[in-house]
Amino acid sequence: MHLVPPVSRDRIISQFPKWYTPEACLQFKEHFHAQVRTACQWSTGTLGLKISKVVVVGDLYVGKTSLINRFCKDNFDRDYKATIGVDFEIERFEIIGVPYNLQIWDTAGQEKFKCIASAYYRGAEVIITVFDLADIRTLDHTKQWLEDALKENEPDSSFVFLVGTKKDLVSDAVCERTELDAIRFANEMQAEYWSVSAKTGENVKQFFSRVAALAFEQSVIKELENSAGHMAQIGTGNLIKLEKNVMEIPEGNTQISLGCC
Amino acid sequence: MEQGREEEEEELEEDDGGPERALEKSPFQLTAEDVYDISSVVGRDLLQLQLSAGPPLPAALARLQFRIVRVLEMLEALVSESSLAEEQLRLERDSLRRELEELRAAGARGGTGQLSLGPDKMVIDLADPNRPRFTLQELRDVLQERNQLKAQLLVVQEELQCYKSGIISQRRDQTEELEKEATGSSSGTSRDSEEKTIIKRLFSFKHGKGASSRT
Repeated sequence: MHLVPPVSRDRIISQFPKWYTPEACLQFKEHFHAQVRTACQWSTGTLGLKISKVVVVGDLYVGKTSLINRFCKDNFDRDYKATIGVDFEIERFEIIGVPYNLQIWDTAGQEKFKCIASAYYRGAEVIITVFDLADIRTLDHTKQWLEDALKENEPDSSFVFLVGTKKDLVSDAVCERTELDAIRFANEMQAEYWSVSAKTGENVKQFFSRVAALAFEQSVIKELENSAGHMAQIGTGNLIKLEKNVMEIPEGNTQISLGCC
Repeated sequence: MEQGREEEEEELEEDDGGPERALEKSPFQLTAEDVYDISSVVGRDLLQLQLSAGPPLPAALARLQFRIVRVLEMLEALVSESSLAEEQLRLERDSLRRELEELRAAGARGGTGQLSLGPDKMVIDLADPNRPRFTLQELRDVLQERNQLKAQLLVVQEELQCYKSGIISQRRDQTEELEKEATGSSSGTSRDSEEKTIIKRLFSFKHGKGASSRT
């Protein structure tokens, strides 16, 4: 295990972050699960560092990279630069006292990279499907993106989010109208809906906090279930390994351990 | 090629023989020259007729002579017009023939290339500096390597931040223990180098790791 600096203050989550709209929200809880809170209280320090894998998919130029960069680096680049294949960021959190990492995989939207990017869909705890609020066609394509991502994962093993980007580019009226369609899509996709702007930063932090909290709780519950039943998950290949600091990169079946160097 | 030979024959016919030859020709091959030859032959015959009839010139003969001249003029006009049309058609034919030859040659060149291509194949211009030239697997490998390097960079950045903020020196014992654990059997030298900086040890370990991941 390598030493890490303290988690920055705005990555510390102690209250369960709220949803964006109750019309497309799957978890209405106000607090962390009691069982999870208890587990985190007495297992601090002994629990392995948790990592959840997030994949971000959607059409090209909807702003997947911009969304991630706003959150992870707090910057915004006006110029468009197509993502080549796949990229990733690791964001460190501390959730109810437990260190927690989100491994955010940014995939290319261009069709020609699909065969590369899709190899990274496997083992995603969270699937974020992104569309452009100013381009309704990109919303239509989100179902296909989700379907492709779900194909690589165990049924019901991933949280799904639908995110409309470039909120700053549309008027409130247009945004509201598009949101109605998006909420309908989200319900069909069993996804939670968010409208954001990477340019202004509106809702970006709240959104990722929500993602982190939901994924964290899920991962703790899963670990509790596994340790309770002594169920070995080794070899299933569909779950990201939760042992300390092991990050699985699916390409070529090679595993690199990162944290220990 | 056959056409060419015919043309040569025509020319030979024109050169050979006296003006009477023109009367033996196929009417479709008559030229203006032939019409003049015919005129001279007919003119000679008419002159002979005049001489044998003696003066004064019979009115019927004079009228016939006038009409014959008129008919020959009409024939001349028809022949020259048709030869003009023929010349134009010949030029057109030759240019079309050239065009066809060029298309055939191009077709043959393209055809040999296309023969080896299936329905979903693409031709690559080797002279294009921006042509596609790397395989998907190569791109995958490069991405994989880049991801590993980025992951290592993130780790190093965090560690550096710790180092700068003094967290590492406070927890030195723990760090050393972890460093030993991490380097393991691959490098025994770092074990006894107490005075080496954390960063230096980090780099020596990175060498070891890089080498092992490559095998």
